[in-house]
Amino acid sequence: MANYVDRFNAADRILHWIVAISFFLLMLSGLGLFAHTFFGYFDLFGGPQQGIMVHKWAGVVFFVSSVLLFLRHVGETCRFDADDRQWIAKLGGYLSRKHQDIPQGKFNAGQKLYSIFAILAALVLGVTGLVIWDPTAYSRELTQFSLMLHGLFFTLSMVGMVVHVYLATIGNPGTLDGMLYGQVRKRWAKKHASKWYRKVAKD
Amino acid sequence: MTNHWIDIRNSDVILIMGSNAAENHPISFKYVLEAMDKGAKLISVDPRFTRTSSKADLYAPLRSGTDIAFLGGMIKYIIENKLYHAEYMRLHTNSTFLVSPDFKMPGELDGLFSGYDAKKRAYDKTSWNFQRDAKGVPKSDLSMSDPNCVLQLLKKHFSRYDLDTVSDITGTPKEKLAEVYKIYGSSGQAGKAATIMYAMGWTQHTVGTQNIRTMAIIQLLLGNIGIAGGGVNALRGESNVQGSTDHCLLFHILPGYLPTPKASWNDLAKYIEKSTPTTSDPMSANWWGNRGKYITSLLRAHFDTKLSAGDGFGYDLLPKLDAGQNASWLMIFDRMFRGDIKGFFAWGQNPACSGSNAGKVRKALGKLDWLVTANLFDNETASFWKGPGVDSASIDTEVFFLPAAASFEKEGSITNSGRWAQWRYQATKPLGNSRHDSEMMNELYFRVAELYKKEGGAFPDAITKLSWNYGFKGIDGKIQHLDIHAVAKEINGYFLEDKVVKGKQFKKGDLVPSFAYLQDDGSTNSGNWLYCQSYNGKGNNMARRSQNDPSGVGLYPEWSWCWPVNRRILYNRASVDETGTPWDKNHPVIWWSGSGWKGDVPDGGWKPLNQAGTRKSFIMLPDGVASIFGAKMKEGPFPEHYEPLESPIEKNPMSGTRINPAIKRFYEDGGLEEDAFHTNDQRYPFVATTYRVTEHWQTGVMTRNTPWLLEMQPSMFVELSPELAQEKGIKGGDMVKVSSGRGEVEAVAIVTKRFRPFKVQGKTVHQVGLPWCYGWSTPNAGDSANLLTPTIGDANTMIPETKAFQVNIEKRG
Amino acid sequence: MKRKSFLIDTTLCTACRSCQVACKQWNKLDAEATVNRGSYENPPDLTPQLYNQIQFIEQDKGDDLQWLFINRRCMHCADAGCVKVCPSAGALYHTKEGMVAFNQDKCIECHYCVNGCPFDVPRYDARQKVTKCHACSDRVQNGLAPACVKACPTQALKFGDRDQLIAEARAAGKKLYGENDLGGLGVLYVLDDQPGTYRLPKNPAIPASIFFWKDVVKPLGILGFWGAVGVAALHYVTVGPQKFDESDDPQHKGGE
Repeated sequence: MANYVDRFNAADRILHWIVAISFFLLMLSGLGLFAHTFFGYFDLFGGPQQGIMVHKWAGVVFFVSSVLLFLRHVGETCRFDADDRQWIAKLGGYLSRKHQDIPQGKFNAGQKLYSIFAILAALVLGVTGLVIWDPTAYSRELTQFSLMLHGLFFTLSMVGMVVHVYLATIGNPGTLDGMLYGQVRKRWAKKHASKWYRKVAKD
Repeated sequence: MTNHWIDIRNSDVILIMGSNAAENHPISFKYVLEAMDKGAKLISVDPRFTRTSSKADLYAPLRSGTDIAFLGGMIKYIIENKLYHAEYMRLHTNSTFLVSPDFKMPGELDGLFSGYDAKKRAYDKTSWNFQRDAKGVPKSDLSMSDPNCVLQLLKKHFSRYDLDTVSDITGTPKEKLAEVYKIYGSSGQAGKAATIMYAMGWTQHTVGTQNIRTMAIIQLLLGNIGIAGGGVNALRGESNVQGSTDHCLLFHILPGYLPTPKASWNDLAKYIEKSTPTTSDPMSANWWGNRGKYITSLLRAHFDTKLSAGDGFGYDLLPKLDAGQNASWLMIFDRMFRGDIKGFFAWGQNPACSGSNAGKVRKALGKLDWLVTANLFDNETASFWKGPGVDSASIDTEVFFLPAAASFEKEGSITNSGRWAQWRYQATKPLGNSRHDSEMMNELYFRVAELYKKEGGAFPDAITKLSWNYGFKGIDGKIQHLDIHAVAKEINGYFLEDKVVKGKQFKKGDLVPSFAYLQDDGSTNSGNWLYCQSYNGKGNNMARRSQNDPSGVGLYPEWSWCWPVNRRILYNRASVDETGTPWDKNHPVIWWSGSGWKGDVPDGGWKPLNQAGTRKSFIMLPDGVASIFGAKMKEGPFPEHYEPLESPIEKNPMSGTRINPAIKRFYEDGGLEEDAFHTNDQRYPFVATTYRVTEHWQTGVMTRNTPWLLEMQPSMFVELSPELAQEKGIKGGDMVKVSSGRGEVEAVAIVTKRFRPFKVQGKTVHQVGLPWCYGWSTPNAGDSANLLTPTIGDANTMIPETKAFQVNIEKRG
Repeated sequence: MKRKSFLIDTTLCTACRSCQVACKQWNKLDAEATVNRGSYENPPDLTPQLYNQIQFIEQDKGDDLQWLFINRRCMHCADAGCVKVCPSAGALYHTKEGMVAFNQDKCIECHYCVNGCPFDVPRYDARQKVTKCHACSDRVQNGLAPACVKACPTQALKFGDRDQLIAEARAAGKKLYGENDLGGLGVLYVLDDQPGTYRLPKNPAIPASIFFWKDVVKPLGILGFWGAVGVAALHYVTVGPQKFDESDDPQHKGGE
């Protein structure tokens, strides 16, 4: 396995997939509440009441796991250096087939931004979700505002999720390996996270 | 009602006093509001601000029991401002008549009229007589200026009721009094109509009859009787209370308001002689001169038609009143309490809650040998033996409960306040074993008759000789299913033999067309002469449902049927002048076409008053005119203010005569502790009154068993002013104890500005109010307000004074 | 079908409450155990078993007293907050007469409507399903007036073509509450005082956030999702994935 380098340990991966699975459960169970068009998705759970129940508890799981996941990587994801700024300025070089070498740490600036967006969304969704857990518990204004924010951050999360999934799979072949087996190819690491690769290669 | 419900919409001024129409006659408000929509003014006078007051243009409070003072002030105002309808009065009232010069009034005799006998507590009415000419016709002064004429006496009598005095008695602010008088007095103009809607708030006083008399005088002064939108309108407390009164609910009358025979009237001839009024005035129709025909036809309906004229048609079989006997409600229960009455039918009633001084009533029930109750639901009367504070083991009364069918479960007629007899059909079958009242009576009749036949007994003929032909008789001689149409037809009356009347040939078995055809020779029968025409050759007129209104004033002559002879507005010949022209051209009730009357059925078909051979307009009265001076009253020909038996003030501000001098006084007469009263007593300092609420019906037996209604008004309450509440440390929703000299009830306090303290005789008088619709048999509902009310009745009718008495109120400790 | 409405003329209401009872009778709603709290008003509020309620309001007016009555119920808004927020199509809906009715079989027990209503009307029954006045939609469909209207003795409650009711009220010089609010209320009031006296909002509205949520976020969200998918696909076929050259791998052994 000399071609590979360790990227995520088992705990990282399990946590990520808990977040991911709860996210998709939330999405599927929440779609029915989001718009009449998607009402049929409740059938996946045996009906709207059950769907709502799944949504509520998946929400708790999602919220807790998101926070843990964020905390696990907060040291790396919340530190931006000149390279990161350059990465952002060049939009990670995604707009061109020509590879641009911008040295990045374990996570590139896009991933860092995404992680911040993800925790922000999780917080908003979690807090508003609590407010609307019982829609009769708080004032009309607060509840309706929370419902609106919940919907807004849901749609933003959906967009983020699409981008995240695309870039983590077919957009950047080899990336998914890290989250599946914990290891990525060294070549991948050199290309996408050269600073990190240098650091782990030294070890 | 002299008029009818729909007619209220023709009024220009509506006074609701002594009733709370919006709450207790909600349908009437349809017509009240229609009138208001057309510009009518609504005045509400009530001790408390009610749902009726909420809709009124003008609300005036008054202390309970002071209506005569309030209205007396109005009479003074009308006379002194000459707002009365002089021509109407001359034509249709006795205001021109001259009274005996010996007649003295309360202003001269310290609250009494001339002729009072303090020992008998009754009047010798000789001095109340009219001066009569040689023929016996009352003398008149058409200018109404003779000091002995009725109008001048009236003016003199009520001159004592000035604004200050009235306000000091009633507690009504003077400016409110003046405003009411002004608005109501405006109806004295020809073409204007004002009506009064009253109910138990006027009748249930020791001066109840005089309350209504006072208003009748006002209506006569203003020319409001007989016209559309006018009248004196009693809002009857139950949908068929008018019908039951017509058919002899009360002890002193037989069906059709024929007097109950007295023991001293020992045969039919004597009855007719003694009970038939006479007149010497050729202009008076004196309709009651037909009494012989009506009583004879009634006897023919009551008893076996084999009885002949020689048997007095069964007159001997009628129950008779002993000399001086009064068999009114209070007396029945007084005698029951004293053990004189052994058995009692409480049929469709709940005296344990409805009777004034209900504590005494409940004790009285325990002295019975047997009690039969017929009702829809169990109630406080049927179960009195297990009521609060009752030691069941000590009660020997045998109680029977007959489950009765509700009105929707049977066919028959009901007569509403407007005297409309309306036929109704069975909507649904009776529940379970419940039966129609008529079927219970049918069963009872055959069983009792059989017992008499088998075992004999005292006076069996009164039962065994009853005529009872209300359906097909089976082989055992019994009627299995009583035919209510047969009853209705008998009430109307049949010809019992072939006969020619008024040129028409009738055959035996024909229904009598109307009471003008009834005979005193035994050839007709009629269970109630007033209802003769209700079910005749034209069919069941009570079942008519045509909405034709040719009059345009809402008479609807072909909707149901109305007594007498389908006359929709009583005394309607007073609605026209002497030429037969209506006072109110826009709302004509009847008018003379030159050859006959058009419009409503006129009160007697005689020509207008200026034509020869006519008769005066008030055909039921011997003098032919309405009585502003009413010598038939027990306590005086004019109303005078007396305090209620229990009052918050020491003396009557009007005179030294504190209470109605002609009432029967129980406490002093009999000395029962149960009948105690406490006037001007600091232990019971607050005026109280009782009433019904929209949500409950009478004692609530039906409505307390209807959960939807109980939900809205779940339990006993007492309403009081914020001022009194503060004085007593009571907050809204607190449980309080209300007590009187007779008993106490617990109630939830409703603290409301709808009650306001009165200023009476310089002191603050608080009033509270309680509904009487609750009873202990409904869990958590509380008990009846009648546990507090006194044993005292009106001088003329003995209706109990439940609308003004004294209580104390305390927060429950 | 022309839009229908109630017209409630509080100046004609005598608080006899036959509307309250007639409603319960027609809709087979059980009575509830109540207590007198020192007022005639009972039950104190709308409940799952009480679709319309008479409120009693006592207030001073100069030296005199006013006792006002108002029949409270679902307002049958054209822009109905409850219908707007209801996730289950058809659980709350406008009938062809324009009244807001409900279908409990479709209610998903989310309680959004309870909160979405600016008049605090929808209630949940013991089965956790929405209930409220539905203008006796079963009666109305069969040409009958709602039970409350039928029972009202003074015509304080009327039901009919909305335009006609408005025209009649205008002709009688009566000022209406609810003519234009929320797309026009299906319950129009003639009031004797300010709306606030009757505990009615002066300018009833549903929170702007409901509109933002349902009319902006929802369509944009759906658009955003598919947009993101589209952009990703476009990116894949135009720019393409960021592949790394496997042969460059220094420790590559091949044949993996």
